[in-house]
Amino acid sequence: MNSPGLQIRQSSAQMWGGGTGQRKMAVVSKYIDTSTCIGCKACEVACQEWNDLGNVATVQIGSYQTVPTLHADLWNLIKFNEQTLPDGGFAWLMRKDQCMHCADPGCLKACPAPGAIVQYENGIVDVNPDACIGCKMCETGCPFDVPRYAARTDKMAKCTLCVDRVDVGLEPACVKACPTGCLHFGTKDDMLALADSRVEQLKGNGFVQASVYNPKGVGGTSVVTVLAHGDHPEWYGLPKDPHVPTGVRFWKNVLRPVGVIAFAAAFFAMVGHYLTFGPKKPKEGGEKSRGEGPV
Amino acid sequence: MSEVALPGQTKRTGVGDAAVVRAREDEDVVVGGEIVRHRLSSRVIHWTVALFFFVCLFTGLPIWTPLFGWMATLFGGLSVCRWLHPWTGVAFSIATVVMFVHWFSEMKLTGKDREFLTPGGLVRYMRYQGEDSEVGKYNGGQKLLFWAAALATLGLLLSGIVMWFPEPFGNGVRQLSYVVHDIAFILFFAMIIGHIYLGTAAEPGTFGAIVRGTVTKEWARLHHPKWYRQVTGDAKKR
Repeated sequence: MNSPGLQIRQSSAQMWGGGTGQRKMAVVSKYIDTSTCIGCKACEVACQEWNDLGNVATVQIGSYQTVPTLHADLWNLIKFNEQTLPDGGFAWLMRKDQCMHCADPGCLKACPAPGAIVQYENGIVDVNPDACIGCKMCETGCPFDVPRYAARTDKMAKCTLCVDRVDVGLEPACVKACPTGCLHFGTKDDMLALADSRVEQLKGNGFVQASVYNPKGVGGTSVVTVLAHGDHPEWYGLPKDPHVPTGVRFWKNVLRPVGVIAFAAAFFAMVGHYLTFGPKKPKEGGEKSRGEGPV
Repeated sequence: MSEVALPGQTKRTGVGDAAVVRAREDEDVVVGGEIVRHRLSSRVIHWTVALFFFVCLFTGLPIWTPLFGWMATLFGGLSVCRWLHPWTGVAFSIATVVMFVHWFSEMKLTGKDREFLTPGGLVRYMRYQGEDSEVGKYNGGQKLLFWAAALATLGLLLSGIVMWFPEPFGNGVRQLSYVVHDIAFILFFAMIIGHIYLGTAAEPGTFGAIVRGTVTKEWARLHHPKWYRQVTGDAKKR
């Protein structure tokens, strides 16, 4: 991996983080403006084509949404929600559901296979199928319910932010295909600036609650989403305050070191006991042992 | 002593062999200078459980932490461990059920056992100061391990099923399964470390009880005096 984009910042199941990056790189980000998405699904098709994913049959669920949820062969799904507004109004809310590429990825935290989930220096979180063991723990670790298990390959699959394109200076396939310009790609700083200006615009247009969805609980995400109804991310199917699940953190950060220390302590306690008390033997010649070993 | 002729064996004059042969069928009997402590079926059950325990342990540890990642090599990689671990866990659970049924009736805790299991009692035992002539075939610690193993196996099995087939379960249940699996494993393995130590280095003669099936009279008198009295008393009646 000579390419600077593929230098690794952190990797799953490593003792010391597993970073290989030698240079600081600009974190990249995708910009999604939900307010200008028309739900055309061009990004879904572009994603499947570029990533050579299998067919996923459309399911009629009575809405402008192709299938109910993400799939191992569909890494990018335009979610559609009909929302009645408090003032009696009505909104059709489109949102591009995909991997959020968290700065603090729960999937990577939960993954037990070394190198199966990596975060590159540019912030992209990727699955390495060669190392993946298909245990589905990343599903539990993800606060956005994104990784999907593919029974066909016994591997997990999710959006790579088209790291293979990004690495050679191209934008992700979905961004390339988007006809309304609601998708952009660039450095995270640039995308946040773009999102902020769009939020100001929306506020001027009467969406006073508009905001940028870049949740701090997961250290921010490399997918920056503009929400016209920013006070209600749950209307778009987004968690209000996502973070790496408590159970996963407790397991990895507390139970695991405590367990290793406990085993080492038990082992050395036994060695120490043997050195101090020795084996328990019957008293020599005693008719009835008092049960005292040689000290 | 009633002797049964075994295939290919007409004479049973060997000193050591007589006890081992007797240990195929019976336990808690005196044979010469030895006492049969665990008959063959008991030992096979114990070692079956132990075998599956260690396969589970060595396939689980590399999944648990990269510190033990090298262990995966023993089985052909982490993917093999991920496949082998749950199936071995099923085998381990079944073996543990058999073990539970086999020993259940002998493992009821008495008042004396509860005294033994107080912190003071355990410290006295480990300092070889415990002088309890009422210790039967199993002491309080052994009974504790039996019940802890049963409980831990139940926890490991239930949480393991959730981890194996997570789809029907909510995220909270999945997280809980990791925590339960971890806690049960940590406590269980810590106890097994103690179990192995007490069964080998710390108490000479104990390992033979679960391999050969027999112990010396001195061993029985030292570690399990009440059992010794019962067994030798029974032997006199025969």
